[in-house]
Amino acid sequence: MKKLLVALLAVLMVLSLAACGKKPEPTPDPEPTPAAEEGKVFHIYAWNEEFKGFFEKYYKVPEGIEVVWTIVPNEGTQYQDAVDLALLNQESASADDKVDMFLAEADYILKYTNSPYTQDVRKLGVTDFSNTYQYTVEAASDANGVCKGVSFQCCPAGMIYRRSIAKDVLGTDDPAEVQAAVSSWEKFDNVAKLAHDKGYLMTSSYAEDYRVFSNNTSMPWVDKDNNLQIDPAIQTWMDQAEMYVKEGYTLTSGVWDAETTAEAAKDGKAFCFFGPAWYYNFCMGPAFGDDAVKEGTDSVGDWGLVDGPQAFFWGGTWLLAATGSDNPTMLKDVMNAFINNEEVCENLIKNEAQFTNNQKVNNKYAADPEFGNKYLGGQNDTAVFAEGAKNIKFQNQTIYDQGCNEGIQNYFVEYLKGTVTKEEAMKNFYKALKEKYPAINVPEN
Amino acid sequence: MAKGNKHRKSVSYAKWAYIFIAPFFISYIIFTLVPQALTVYNSFFENYQNGLQQIGPNFVGLGNYVKLLTPDKAGTIDFLRYFGNAMGMWIAGAIPQFLIALLLAVLFTSARLNLKGQGIAKTIIYMPNLIMASAFSMLIFALFSNVGPINKWLVASGIIEKSFDFLSYKIPVRTIIAFMNFIMWFGNTTIVLMAGIMGIDQSLFESANIDGANSVHVFFDITLPLLMPILSYALITSLIGGIQMFDVPQVISNGKGTPNMTSTTVIMMLNNYLSTSKNYGMAGALSVMLFIITGILSMFVYRMLAKQYKK
Repeated sequence: MKKLLVALLAVLMVLSLAACGKKPEPTPDPEPTPAAEEGKVFHIYAWNEEFKGFFEKYYKVPEGIEVVWTIVPNEGTQYQDAVDLALLNQESASADDKVDMFLAEADYILKYTNSPYTQDVRKLGVTDFSNTYQYTVEAASDANGVCKGVSFQCCPAGMIYRRSIAKDVLGTDDPAEVQAAVSSWEKFDNVAKLAHDKGYLMTSSYAEDYRVFSNNTSMPWVDKDNNLQIDPAIQTWMDQAEMYVKEGYTLTSGVWDAETTAEAAKDGKAFCFFGPAWYYNFCMGPAFGDDAVKEGTDSVGDWGLVDGPQAFFWGGTWLLAATGSDNPTMLKDVMNAFINNEEVCENLIKNEAQFTNNQKVNNKYAADPEFGNKYLGGQNDTAVFAEGAKNIKFQNQTIYDQGCNEGIQNYFVEYLKGTVTKEEAMKNFYKALKEKYPAINVPEN
Repeated sequence: MAKGNKHRKSVSYAKWAYIFIAPFFISYIIFTLVPQALTVYNSFFENYQNGLQQIGPNFVGLGNYVKLLTPDKAGTIDFLRYFGNAMGMWIAGAIPQFLIALLLAVLFTSARLNLKGQGIAKTIIYMPNLIMASAFSMLIFALFSNVGPINKWLVASGIIEKSFDFLSYKIPVRTIIAFMNFIMWFGNTTIVLMAGIMGIDQSLFESANIDGANSVHVFFDITLPLLMPILSYALITSLIGGIQMFDVPQVISNGKGTPNMTSTTVIMMLNNYLSTSKNYGMAGALSVMLFIITGILSMFVYRMLAKQYKK
């Protein structure tokens, strides 16, 4: 009897352990849902809280639908890796886990639009592109011109200068006069020297103006045969960064480092920053009085916006429609709301200091003499951007851009800090790139 | 009844033992042996993702191994260099770790001293091990950053003029990593060694005392030789942990092995292969190489230490 009990226990133990190792049965996919009967969960992937904030404020979620956000930081292609994994598992995921919509940046949007993992938004019912900027549609389209998503912002960028420092250095804080003083890189260098002589920094990061150069390249990072190529514009940036660090015009901290942002605070020393609307209303903490900034140390209103030495755009947040989404109606709805709903777009400009992807609304505010941005001391930034937006061309993109853009900054800075030679810095960049993207041919080293 | 007993005597109880240990072997085969075999198998294929596009698997024989062990123009083999980095940082942390752990273990177990407050001391030295390594690294990262409290304090007290970029120079970075490994693991080693010392027959210590041996003699002639099996176990597990060093340098150097890849470890390289391109071929080859090296080194350490013990 006892033995029988022992045997029984042993068998039970083995069985229970075996049961632990077994995968839970996948819940059977429900029958393809008819249009009326759509998914109850709307799943969005994003890399920060920016769009989430706007979505929650200005988009009314249909009753009975729960919105689930998966937020993964952008740095080091972590976000891309997470989205890739989710999309590759999209087919086998249960209805509630399927990705419905995911956000993508200019640096890697190509990878998704040119894949079967995104779907034609025109077929979903997003058909009115009469007010959106042409480049935002081109960027979201695949090689055959099929549009896979929409951008809720348009991102012409400029030079954001500190009014109080401009007054001290140039004797004026008037945008037109400041622009005249920095209208070319030579002039920019002269201002840097003037600022330095007065004890200021020109920029607060060696990579602050990186995007101005990388956005004006004449060739993509990787050519048709998968060979890496360093554009002359990137080369110019490297020379400039080297000179600026040597002369003490800038710091060796990265664009997103706390040290760099700290230079935008009340006692900050940086003459200027470079970026589009989202940069000074979302990333430069002290410039817009972020909650995390200690009271009395913000610099709201002490900023001005000009085109700077060279026109460029930076980033943009595209909302892409994932193939296999079980909420096509809401998907269409969200996209239309952020490009064609004038009320939503007006709110984005008025309350959030955004530059939207609706030309009609942008132009209305650009022409409004009463309208001004409080972060910029009442300057009408929409008017500046409305001009810049006309010239944006989406070109020379590859699927490797984020890795290349981050990589060159990360490894080149070691040279600027003096811990490696220039050759070693480039060698490390090539090595890291090759480990990340085996398909790229890097120069032999 | 007697008859029945006689018949039952031929029943082997050993089979129950097999049944009881079976779960371990079953799960070992499923979760360890099969994946290991798959790793070896994968290492012979070119198999990665380019963006969302799958490349391979194409059989390439030993191609991945050749790629891994081909020196670059300057003659360095990255794999071996990163291995050297990890070993250097491990040794720098392991020396104080084992010396202090040995000392503490002897003090805590000494019947003559009979230290007070041992319980609290043991808990405290074990504490750092309870914090997640990555969280601990984040803390140290914040402490030593350019705008962190250490720099602020050094500048405020006039020791240095401008904040020093600790995390950008080779010696500070490696020292910080080695120090963190030491802090996290010396408590654990102390506990293991204490268990080893307490397993030694107390009468040996007593007779040594009666014969007039001083504590130095007792330590070198009784404690240390008899502790060898446990010490070699602790050393080998620590060595394997050192070879597989990852989270601390990954967080401290932000995944870049700053400066000049001098704090990159082999597992960080593995992570680079796997995270973006899911490069199972190269990652597999790297893992197999690491497995072989770990085996050889462990054997070496074991031979060296356990030989003395066998005598």
